[in-house]
Amino acid sequence: MPCLNSHRRATVALVSVALAILCSTAALPAAAQWVGYPTAGVPRKADGSVDMAGPVPRLPDGKPDFSGIWTAGNPAKPKEGGDKAGNGNDIGSSRYMANMGADMKDGLPYQPWLIPIVKERTANLALDDPHIRCLPDFFLRAYGLPHMLKFVHTPGILVVLDEMNAGYRQVFTDARALPDSPTPAWQGYSSAKWFGDTLIIDTIGTRDDSWIDWNGSVITEAAKIREEMRRVDFGHLEIKVTVDDPKAYTKPWTVTLKQRIVVDAELIDEVCLENEQFVKRMGLEAKDKSSAK
Amino acid sequence: MKPRMSLLLCLSVGVATALPAVAHHSFPAQYDINKPVTLTGKVTKVEWTNPHIFIYVDVADDKGSVVNWAFEMGGPNSLIRQGWKRDSLKPEDTVTIEGSLARDGTHLVNARTVAVDGKKLFAGSQGGEAPAK
Repeated sequence: MPCLNSHRRATVALVSVALAILCSTAALPAAAQWVGYPTAGVPRKADGSVDMAGPVPRLPDGKPDFSGIWTAGNPAKPKEGGDKAGNGNDIGSSRYMANMGADMKDGLPYQPWLIPIVKERTANLALDDPHIRCLPDFFLRAYGLPHMLKFVHTPGILVVLDEMNAGYRQVFTDARALPDSPTPAWQGYSSAKWFGDTLIIDTIGTRDDSWIDWNGSVITEAAKIREEMRRVDFGHLEIKVTVDDPKAYTKPWTVTLKQRIVVDAELIDEVCLENEQFVKRMGLEAKDKSSAK
Repeated sequence: MKPRMSLLLCLSVGVATALPAVAHHSFPAQYDINKPVTLTGKVTKVEWTNPHIFIYVDVADDKGSVVNWAFEMGGPNSLIRQGWKRDSLKPEDTVTIEGSLARDGTHLVNARTVAVDGKKLFAGSQGGEAPAK
């Protein structure tokens, strides 16, 4: 019975392998979950700290690799993280989180209809904010919020995972044509192409009244957004954003948003709807229902 | 090393230093930084949930009446990164909590620190800082 013997030998081999794996696993010490697991490929200085000025990682096609966990950060501003790599325990926010026009002399160039709306939202401490209602954060806003973003970059697509609400954004890096009449989406529809080492991302198809800061500034369905994204070095990502939204703004405006790398950390659930209590405790449910009518 | 001791060792140094102040809603809309409070009592319930953890504590007043207070803390991801575990606080634990009272006069506090076994732990909440303008 050569067939049976062969089957038995194979079974014995499989059981042996399974037992070996079981024993080796059982012998391992309990591993940490999420926190402190060393990120691979991080350039470090002699003292073990992250070499933020280290070389830019590259994709197989030679283009810069934006992969990594990023958080708001500005080397020139200690309150925005300074120039140290984040470790997940020191995530902060940028001044653009509150006001996207923080560096503009006259602020964002709102259309007249938007001025009283932003004024009211700022005065009432953002009680109408979709973020508080656990809705997705638009990507411009996410760059400045104190939640981590994980970039997964391949030659065909850049996926940005947002720790808040398990969110995601797709940036198609195949330079595909943008649709003529896009269906609005929470993150719009993004197509990108390379210009040297800078990834030029064009986005349309955004939703009306998508908040971009705590003050309640918004973009609309008419928005055309261009991001010029470049990895300056290992530890820094710079995103020059130009917003052309004639429905909300009297002229195009530009802001440069900076990110710093986070190492030895992973995304951890932050699903807002699980037990959101602010809206209920502040008595905003009735107001929301009234607004929806 | 027991988890509780490990947590305390991790967090007992530099409680009030520049730890992240993370919240998903406006602190001053709900809490009054000018109304600080320190309360001691026994934990009755722990809601280890997003976006913020809530713990409920029975606190006795001067006359012996017991009131169940709610304390809002940071989110699980923020506290996990600082060494907290979901069972770091349990019902029947005696805690002393520093924080800010809710503006609406209810028995609700935004917790800044939690002291258990005589050690102060960062509670991961805002500590009164409004979003930068």
